[in-house]
This record gives sequence, C-alpha cells and structure tokens, in this order.
Amino acid sequence: MPGSSQKQYHAKQNRRNFITGLLFLSPTLVIFSMFILFPVFFSFYLSFHKWNMFSSSHAFVGLANYQRLLTDPEFWMVLKQTVMYTLGTVPLNMIIALFLAIALNKQIKGKRFLRTAFFTPVIISPVAAALIWRWIYDPNFGLLNYATGIFGIPPVNWLNDSRAAMIALILMGVWKTLGVNMILFSAGLQGIPDTYYEAAEIDGAGRWSKFWNITVPMLTPTTFFIMIMSMISSFQVFDIVYVLTSGGPMGSTKVMVFYIYEYAFKFFEMGYASAVAYLFFAMLAVLTLLQVKYMRSRSGYEAL
Amino acid sequence: MRKMNMYNVKRFGKSALLHASIYVLAFITIVPFIWMILTSFKDMGDIFAYPPKWLPEKIQWNNYVRAFEAAPFGRYYLNSLFVASVVTLGQLITCSMAAYAFARLKFWGRDVLFYIFLGTMMIPYQVTMIPSFMVLYWLGWIDSYQAMIVPGLASAFGTFLLRQFFMTIPRELEEAAYIDGCSKFRVLWQIILPLSKPALATLAIFTFMGTFNDFIWALIVVNSEHLRTVQLGLAVFRDRYITDWDLLMAGSVMATMPILMVFFFAQKYFIKGITLSGIKG
Amino acid sequence: MCLKLDKIRYTKVAQSLAHPKTAHKRFKFCVYLMMILLLFGCSKSKTENPDAITITFWHSFVASTIPALNDLIEQFETEYPDIKINAQYVPTGDALIQKLITAIQSRTAPDISWIHSDFLADLVDADAIYEMAHFINGENGLADDEIKDIYPALLQYASLRKKLYSIPMEATNLALIYNKDLMRKAGLNPENPPRNWDELREYAVTLSDDFNNDGKFDQIGFFVPIFPASGPLSGWMMWQWIPYLWQAGGYIVNEEQTEVLYNSEAGVQALTLWKEIYDKLNLKTFTADYDVAFASKRVAMSMDGPWNLPRFNTMLKNLDWAFAPLPAGPAKQATVVGGEYLVIFKQSPNPDAAWTFIKWIIRPDVQARWAMKSGYLPVRKSVSKVPEFVEYLNEHPNFKVFVDQMDVAQVQRPLDNYGLQITRHIAEAIEAATLGGMEPREALNRSAEKSNQLLRSLNTNSDN
Repeated sequence: MPGSSQKQYHAKQNRRNFITGLLFLSPTLVIFSMFILFPVFFSFYLSFHKWNMFSSSHAFVGLANYQRLLTDPEFWMVLKQTVMYTLGTVPLNMIIALFLAIALNKQIKGKRFLRTAFFTPVIISPVAAALIWRWIYDPNFGLLNYATGIFGIPPVNWLNDSRAAMIALILMGVWKTLGVNMILFSAGLQGIPDTYYEAAEIDGAGRWSKFWNITVPMLTPTTFFIMIMSMISSFQVFDIVYVLTSGGPMGSTKVMVFYIYEYAFKFFEMGYASAVAYLFFAMLAVLTLLQVKYMRSRSGYEAL
Repeated sequence: MRKMNMYNVKRFGKSALLHASIYVLAFITIVPFIWMILTSFKDMGDIFAYPPKWLPEKIQWNNYVRAFEAAPFGRYYLNSLFVASVVTLGQLITCSMAAYAFARLKFWGRDVLFYIFLGTMMIPYQVTMIPSFMVLYWLGWIDSYQAMIVPGLASAFGTFLLRQFFMTIPRELEEAAYIDGCSKFRVLWQIILPLSKPALATLAIFTFMGTFNDFIWALIVVNSEHLRTVQLGLAVFRDRYITDWDLLMAGSVMATMPILMVFFFAQKYFIKGITLSGIKG
Repeated sequence: MCLKLDKIRYTKVAQSLAHPKTAHKRFKFCVYLMMILLLFGCSKSKTENPDAITITFWHSFVASTIPALNDLIEQFETEYPDIKINAQYVPTGDALIQKLITAIQSRTAPDISWIHSDFLADLVDADAIYEMAHFINGENGLADDEIKDIYPALLQYASLRKKLYSIPMEATNLALIYNKDLMRKAGLNPENPPRNWDELREYAVTLSDDFNNDGKFDQIGFFVPIFPASGPLSGWMMWQWIPYLWQAGGYIVNEEQTEVLYNSEAGVQALTLWKEIYDKLNLKTFTADYDVAFASKRVAMSMDGPWNLPRFNTMLKNLDWAFAPLPAGPAKQATVVGGEYLVIFKQSPNPDAAWTFIKWIIRPDVQARWAMKSGYLPVRKSVSKVPEFVEYLNEHPNFKVFVDQMDVAQVQRPLDNYGLQITRHIAEAIEAATLGGMEPREALNRSAEKSNQLLRSLNTNSDN
C-alpha cells in the first residue's frame, strides 16, 4: 500500500516534471528544431543525393556517396590526420589549461592581466594570427627555429615539411584554444565551495591530497564538458588549417572539416560532403559514448 | 625558528618559480596580439620587411583613420554590438532554462533529448549552413536583424555548459527553497543563477565573441549596407590576391577591442560567488 | 550540519538578491542601451528617385579600387538618369561563392554579379544566368565588329561549351617583375630582363646570393610560386604555370575535351623548368610571402599582375623595379589572361536595364577611363586608339607592358566539365614535383590519370 502510493506519487511527479521541463525547454526547443535540428536532418537526407547547391533539384543516388568515400584513399588519410591533430592538441591543451586555471585561482599577482593575456589568442582573428605564425615558422628568420637553435636543435622547415607541418599546426591550435579551456576550468573551480577545502585543512590534508580528493572529483562535470567539447572542436578544426597550411604541404595537414569544406564549396558536391560529415559524426558519437561509459564507471559520478 | 625560515624560503622560491613560469607562458601567448597592435601602426614598407621588424619606423595613426573611412564602420560597429548583445542576453536566458531542465528535472525523454543536443554539435557547420539559411528564407527573414539574431538564441554548447555547472551545485540549497514553497522558476532565478555567475560570465564571453566575430552567417543572410557587421566590413581589405595588411590590422584591432572589454568586464564574476564566501562570517 | 550551513547560504543569496535598487538600475541601463542601439538600427537610408529602376551589382573590388568604381557609376547614372546602380561589395573568393549559392536559392540574387569563370559551369547548369546572345542579338544589341573588338582570349574565358554567358569587365594578365638594382649588382643590364627560358634559368642563379655563407641563399633570383594545392592560392599557382605550358607548345585538354594533354612533352618541359629552378635555389626553405620578400630585396624576379601596380607604386617606392613580358618558351611567347566577368541573373526583374549597364561598361571610352583610374587592363583592342589612353600608356611603362602582352595572352581552353577538379589535379602535380621531389613526368601522369578518369566517366554516363 505505501509502495503503490509512492509509485503514484512518482508518476505524478514525473508528469509534472515533464510539463515543467518542456516549459523550461520550450524557447530553446523551438529555435533549436528550426535552425539546428532540421538542418542536421536535411543534410542527412542530402547525403543520399547529388546536389551542386546552385540548382533547385537534387538527384537521389542511394548509398553511392558513402560507397565512394569508403573507397577514397584520401578520406582515410584525412581521418588519420584528424585523429593525429586531436591526440596532439586535446591532452596538451587540457593539462596546461588546468594548470593555469589552478594557478590563477591562487594568490598570484596580476590575475586579471594574466587571464586576459591567455585569452587574447582566442579573440584574435585567425587571419591576423596566421600572419605572425607564418613568421614564427619561417625557415630563415623564424622565431621558433631561432629559439630551438639556442639548444642546438637544427632548423626545421616547419610549413614545407610533411611531418613538421602537423606539429606546427598542433602548436598553433593549442595556442589558439588554450584560453577557452582555461576559462572553463576557472569557472569550474569557482564552483567548488571553500568549505570543502577548509574542512580538509582541518583534517590536515596536504596540497596534493586536496587536489586529488576535492578538486578532481568536484571538477568532474567541468572536465567532462571540456573533454567532449575539445574533442569535438579539434575534430572540427578548420579556421587555423585554412589560414596556416591550407591542408598542405601535399595534403599532409588536410583534416576532416577541411575535406568536407572542399567538397562542399570548392567542388560543389554537397551530397558527398554531407555523407562525409555523417560518417564522421558516427565516429565522434561512438567515441563520446565510450567516454561517457568510462567516466561513469570510473567516478561513479553522474557527470552525464 | 630556523626551520620556519627555511620553510618560508622554500615557499618563496616555489611561488617565484610559479610566477616566473606563468608570466613567461603569458608573454609567449600574448606576443602575437602585441604584434598585431604594432603592425596596425606600421606602413606597408615596415610590414613587408623581411626579416620582420618589431617596431614601426614611424607610428602611422593614419592607418586607423583610413581603415575607418574605407567603409561605414561606425554603422557596422553598432550593428555588431547590437546583434552580439541581444544574442548574448537571449542565450543566457534560453540556455539557463534548458540547462536547468536537463540538470534538475527528471522526466521522460530527457536523456534522449540531451543526447540529441550533444549529437548536433558533432555535425560540422559547413553542411548545415545552407539548410539553416533556407529556413530563414521560408520565414521571409533574409536581410534583417532577426536573421542574425534568432538562430543564435538557442545553443547546444551553452545548454551543455550550464547544465554541467548546475550539476555541481549542492541540491540541498534548492530543497530548502522548495520547503519554503518556491516555484521551480524562482529557484532557478534566485538560487541557481546567482550561484552560477562564473559559468554565466563564461557563456556570455563565448557567445558575445562568437557572434561578434561571426563572418559567414552574417555574409549570407544580409545584403543591405545598413545591416552589415564589422567582420563583413573587414573583408573589404582582402582580395583574392591582395591584402591591405596595414588597414586590415588596424581594423582587426578595432574589432577586437569590444570583445576584450567584455572579457575584462565579465572577469569580475570570476571571483567566488557571494554565498560561498559568505559562509565564513 | 550541512543543511544548517546551506540554510545560511540560502538566506544570504536571498538577501543579496533582495537589493532591488541595484538590480533595477542594472536592468534599466540594459534597456536604455538596447533602445539606443535599436534607434541606430532603424534609422532609414536616404530617399531616392522613385521612378528610377535600381540595378543591384555585386562586385569584389578592394577598398583602393572603389573610388574608381564610384566614379564609373556616377558617370553612368548621369548618362542614364532612369537607371540607378546599387553597387554592393561582396567579399571575393569562397565568400562570393557561398553568397551566390544562398542568393540563388532564396531568390535574392542581384541583377548583375561579377564572377570567376571557374564556377560558370555550375551557374549555367543551374539555369541561373542568361546567355549573352539573348541581349547581343536583341534590339539594344552589339554589332559583330564590336564583339570581335574584345580580346578573343577574354571571350573564350567568358564562354562555356561555345556559348557566351558573361562579359569581361576588365582584363588582367601575368608579367615578370624584377628588381633593377639587384640586376646591376649582379652585373646584368637592368634594361635586359630574361627573354627566354635559358636566360631565365641563368639569371635565376646569377641573381641568387648567399650573404652570410651558411649554404642557403638569402637572396633569390627567381621566385617559383609553389603553394599548397588544396589552399586558396592553388589557383594562383596554377594560373602562373599555364603560360609555361603554352610557351612550350602544350595544351590542357584536347579539342573534343575527352582527354587532358597537360602531361604531354610540353607539360614535362614546363614543369621541369620550374623544378630545376626550385631545387637549385632551394626554395623549399624560402618564405612563401614572395611580395614581402621582393619588397625587402630578397627576391630579384617574380611574377605578378597589373592589379598590384597601384599598390607597388607605394609599397616599392624605395626600390628600382620594373615589369617585363614573361620570357618566351621553346615554342612561343605567351601569358595567361584573367579578369572578372559580369553575368546577368534570370531572377533579375530588369535584365534589359542590367544589360544597358554592361554594354555601357565595355564602350571604348568608358573602358579607357576605367582602366586609367583602376589600374586594370581594357577588354577591347580599340581602347588603344583613345588619345588619352595612348598618352597614359606612354607615361606608365609598367602598365604598358601588360597592355602590350594582351596580344600574346591566351586562355586555358574553357573546361566544359570537371574544370575545378582538373585544375586541382594540375596544382597537385606542380606541388608534388617541386615540394614533393617527384619526377615531373611521373607527377603529371599521375594527375592526368585522375583527370582522364573523370572525363571518361562522363562519356560512359552520356552513352547510357
């Protein structure tokens, strides 16, 4: 008897929550379904068609686009390079960003200036940024070769060497997005109540113990967010590739979205570009789900 | 006594090392920005020096005047500020409401909906841009302010960001409020949001920046001169083969300033929230 | 315990928020700000003559050319008071393409737009633009001699599948720019720039210098323009290489457009020339910003177009420099022609008025005036008979080099199908042979294989 009334209560609660939830979600849902969801489904539909975007009609081609991309060696090369870029940027970026966020959360002089300094790369336009990075990487007068030269490292032809170009791209990528993650981590750190630290101090916890037992678990939702977003954004890196290396030399820095962009707006094959986007989506989705599973099993925390 | 001193010295050394390493890193990071500002004062000869020159031979204030005169930038500025402010304000409202529902209300279909939100972020913009544009066309909104504003009023990124933050807020706070008979909306407005200032400030910065810097969307949805934004204006300095670097850099510096100001302003909210520091007393 | 703490917190929150005054103030401020911004947002543009037909014209002229364009439009509007030209700047390149796609789809296309011929095929396939014959053969048409007066290469460029779809507004071509001081320093006569490939090869080495003896050239004799094939400068690289293909007597594609020919002997020769210079000067370790390097006396010779003349006049004012025709190849002298082309959209409510403007623009006296103000080349031969223009040419020898070169200017045979892809394949071959160190023949054959595969697929499709 008490069990069933509780059940009823829950059902009622659920129904009420459903209505309230929809109410809270409604402004977002309306706009979201028009300008995000519909386009997303439409491009899925397009991935089975051939369309040059200028014409008003598109021809159904079935799975031809998918078939073609699976047999295109360039697609696999691009995929490999995208994964390399992601592996190169995401961990490096997150570690430095977390370090900075923690350091800037402490008693350090000139916090405001420092935060702004680390954020400037984010707001600088990619075109302007590329101009100076090309100088940094210049084989003859570049700052980077000058700096490495001090340590006796022979000069590297950063942008004209197939292997070095990816490293050059990764460095610029970390520089450009470091500020984003630093700010996100900072916001996350602000959310941890001081009381937890104070309580730990009373218990005589050291710095590392506080970091591992309070900061890390309390930051889990933020870290999780940053991890997923960094992964998505580095999988979708486009601007800096476009302005720094344009996919060269010899396609060695061509990444997924660059490839999609080329097919969409250089060769006007929107159907094919959409198919690439969807295959790519499927891979990202699987990776994200794996991460969710892992995070859940590891922390037991309801991060997602 | 002596031990104490040793401890202090060690601590000081550690802190100096921390300061030094952070300042060095900050310097490396900010160099391109400084360089952009310096370049905006150079004449073409200085910009086109190889090996590159740091300082301008003679400061060219004129670059700014010429850049500003190349297009009606005053108008463009107001448009950009207007669109970015409205989108930012709107997104703060819509995203916090949606995020609250995702973080706190348990209801049928919530998780599926949330995964759909997440999933849409994984489809690159390049393939959804044209269909989004078509929706705008069906609504008859091409070449209007709403074309630049309305699509920006919902954001999967913003919803996700705030949801994650809301989840770290201890539930006990709200329960106390519910016992007092507060409605869900009041709880969001009076408890969750004030506690989430750092996250809201973060979202505000990103949204403002994203909207202010947007080029491609503004490009395709706007035709009229009086609706153009700063980023569209900056394109006038670049041709297929020619770039007027002096003017472009001056223009870029001008375009960066509002974002820098918003960032500076929003940082105020990066101190610990009121509640959290209030406990001590 | 926890609950108690939180209770305190909760009341603190409530208290801090209960400060209605500050909250209200902030809100008010925001409202005022919005209102001010809205006010600015809604102010109406100036009133116009209500009877005039307005023709919207999209162009991508850079800031420095816009005064010349405004002058042109003003003149047109005084001659034709019932037509008003609304010239709108649209960023060029990829942005222009995206703008055109969305405009066509939303039926907001302009009356006239300038386009690059590389996506002419897609516009034609989408039935978005008029064939020019519609106007040329109409009442307000053009006579045969007038058409023949336009440089044939430009007309070829403006056509697709032997039909004319656009009208050139101005012309450009490619010439050699060189630093006279560096020529003198190397013991060469500055009035005798290289005239053929052998001299080019020789000068490229003579004009290179290693100041600091580190085994790398600090000054480059001739800049071979290698850019990533997948990048925005890919077309620019390809465009500079084609003249060498022609100079060696080669073609891109055969007459029937069933097979590419750029991997012929001529193609191999042209690419070998580039590769030799590239390798000998070790350009792989040299900056890609050739104009920067030229301005800093690090490059003695490179190639460029007339659009840069106004800019160079100020940028290179401390340099003694000149333009010269491209060196002749083993078969002949040749340069490549470019320029921007105007199309009229079928969506236009006033196509005839749009045509009136285009027809007016190519009138010889208008072309002369436009060329002198903008620095672009005229599209008609007879412009060279306009007295002011002749005088102008005498005063501007560098500009004259380009105008004279129009006689040997060629155009890539317009590729009816897969033009974008084939152009990309050529760029890939150039990049592979120079940067990638591949044998020119092998690189060209590999690309030609890809191009031919596309062309063959087209034939089998149409057969079915």
